[in-house]
Amino acid sequence: MDALVFALLNGVIYGLLLFMVSAGLTLIFGMMGVLNFAHASFYMLGAYFAYALQGLVGFAPAVVLATVLAGAVGAGVERFFLRRVHRHGHAHELLLTFGLSFIVAETIKLLFGNQPVDYRIPPALDVAAFVVGSQQYPAYRLLMGGVALAMFAVLYLLLTRTRVGIIVRSAIYKPRMVEALGHNVQLVFMGVFAVGAALAGLAGAIAGAFYTTSPNMALEIGVMVFVVVVVGGLGSLGGAMLASLLIGVMTSFAVGVDRSLADLFAVVGARDWAEGVGGLLTLKLSSLAATLPFALMLLVLLVRPSGLMGSKN
Amino acid sequence: MAHMRTSIPLLLGGVAVLVALPLLLSAGLLNASVQMLIAALFASAYSLLSGRAGMLSFGHAAYFGVGAFATVHAMNALNGTGLLPTPLLPLAGAGAGLAFGVVAGWFATQRTGTAFAMITLAIAELLHALAPQLRGWFGGESGISTMRMPAWGLNFGSTTQVYYLTLAWVLAALALLYFHTLTPPGRLTLALRENEHRLRFLGYDVHGLGVSAFAISGLFSGLAGALQVVSNESANYVVFDAGVSASVVLNSYIGGVTAFLGPALGAALMTFFGYAVSDATQAWLLYQGVIFVLVMMFMPDGLVGLLAVIGRLVRTLGIRAAPLMAGWLLAGLLLVAGGVFLVELVQRLCSQDYRAMARVGEAWPAVRLLGREWLPAAAGTWATVLLPLAAGGGLLAMVHGAQRRWLTEGAK
Repeated sequence: MDALVFALLNGVIYGLLLFMVSAGLTLIFGMMGVLNFAHASFYMLGAYFAYALQGLVGFAPAVVLATVLAGAVGAGVERFFLRRVHRHGHAHELLLTFGLSFIVAETIKLLFGNQPVDYRIPPALDVAAFVVGSQQYPAYRLLMGGVALAMFAVLYLLLTRTRVGIIVRSAIYKPRMVEALGHNVQLVFMGVFAVGAALAGLAGAIAGAFYTTSPNMALEIGVMVFVVVVVGGLGSLGGAMLASLLIGVMTSFAVGVDRSLADLFAVVGARDWAEGVGGLLTLKLSSLAATLPFALMLLVLLVRPSGLMGSKN
Repeated sequence: MAHMRTSIPLLLGGVAVLVALPLLLSAGLLNASVQMLIAALFASAYSLLSGRAGMLSFGHAAYFGVGAFATVHAMNALNGTGLLPTPLLPLAGAGAGLAFGVVAGWFATQRTGTAFAMITLAIAELLHALAPQLRGWFGGESGISTMRMPAWGLNFGSTTQVYYLTLAWVLAALALLYFHTLTPPGRLTLALRENEHRLRFLGYDVHGLGVSAFAISGLFSGLAGALQVVSNESANYVVFDAGVSASVVLNSYIGGVTAFLGPALGAALMTFFGYAVSDATQAWLLYQGVIFVLVMMFMPDGLVGLLAVIGRLVRTLGIRAAPLMAGWLLAGLLLVAGGVFLVELVQRLCSQDYRAMARVGEAWPAVRLLGREWLPAAAGTWATVLLPLAAGGGLLAMVHGAQRRWLTEGAK
């Protein structure tokens, strides 16, 4: 029972974290039609900025500064890179962001080394929130979940309740019309890009301290986030939330399951045959946890190619 | 067809040089040439899908790797005697690449554009995550090793024989890939990129065409993987790494996917540079990324497109193109010199060894670079970085301005 509660909580919080990164990605995609391959790089930049600044200004200010810096880098990428190649089409933009993500990862390796850096949560936050059975639950996880939820609320209110939100949403649907009405759509694009990057940076700054901060973190979360947006439906914020939670909970539960497909075959009395075949059939579900999201994605593509909440195109 | 007539002697000359290479090169360089040939084939296979068919794949390591492992198993089959004679072993890799390409392609081509790109990435990551778990198939962390068996009177013990085997396969594969561009399905692949909707209205099976382009690309990627296994006599799950997928994307677009041989030339060039500078620098991948981004921003048609631009310039400006070329070249060299020096300096300042040496409160020790000591606190060090950068930037602006002026004058 304890394990179940813990797995559920861990999964939800990991899912919320995935959402923080995928929200910006899906917003930018919905708006500009460009998938920002470098988006997960902002997540990594956030973590490394916070790590580098932590010693100078302390943990909380470092997180805030890292968020702002990641947003500034995002604005720069939109202004000086994406806008220049916009006329060559979406594939070109995708390739450019791919190259940028490559440069960011290599620069980080150059500056901080190939190994994970020693970026940890401050001792003051390293406490237990509550105890279930004999296990303590770290308060920092709850903090991460709380930040993600607060971000979702702010984003939702900003988009649906404010004037800026109206302009942003209309710029998604009819950018030319919005421009004709006298709004600076280029500036809106840059702003959304910067906010998306800042959100990813914030997620990286707080999650990097809890998980590991290494030059591979962008690729690891990036692939997962791409799975999230495909499963949820490209451009759908609600779909991203649903898919993030689904994938978070699914991987979290799978890690704790010590069964393999051979156990399933045992129900129909074919265990010996399955164990004889070996390979995939005898692999424990726990060791397959990392591959489950991909399997889910392929399943969703088969059943519902536009994603769980994506519009048919 | 004047274009064809000039390029055929050029092609034959190129092939002749490739055939003569073992007489000219040392064993180490010949080994690098084998890697260049394999990279060229892989990039050409990749560009069939991403360049011609317009479907961006970010997970082509999967088909390369599947071909590699199929070959390693084929070589080890029948107690090490091999399923096929050594020269025909790459067929195993090609077959596996084709089969996996059909399956993966069927899924991936359900969607187009961005979603397609992400699916290919996810399929490759799926294999990369799964491979170390399946020890029987992929040999776990240590991989699987094998031996080239003698066949047809050749022992395949020397690099020269491996080189000729690779060369024969790569040339045959490139010829087949070129032939594919001339066939009706090959022409339709191009139509797939240009206007998928119209193709569908004309009654073609768009999904089937996409799968076929994907599968053929998988076939030749598998062949490239197979050749690598034949050359290295081992396969490791690292071939599924995202870096392998990334490098084929970078190489192809640096070369230029609009021309048939562009990706192959780009891949050969980048592999050669990677080999040449791998001892001198740890930042090669960074340079590769920077070159790619610069190409994407300023030369969308790649290095092959650059040749076309130069040709146009010479035709319009005549002799006046010469000072322009010299100016571009000099500005480029200055910027490269300054940029590379900066990167190498920063890399050494940030390295573990240096950080261990530099103690708090003391003056920072000097860094060795280009056979000289450079003090990080000295103004001269940073002047060496900034001067070429500033001079190169200034010259670039001047040359750019002059070219624009001359071209508008010429237009009048």
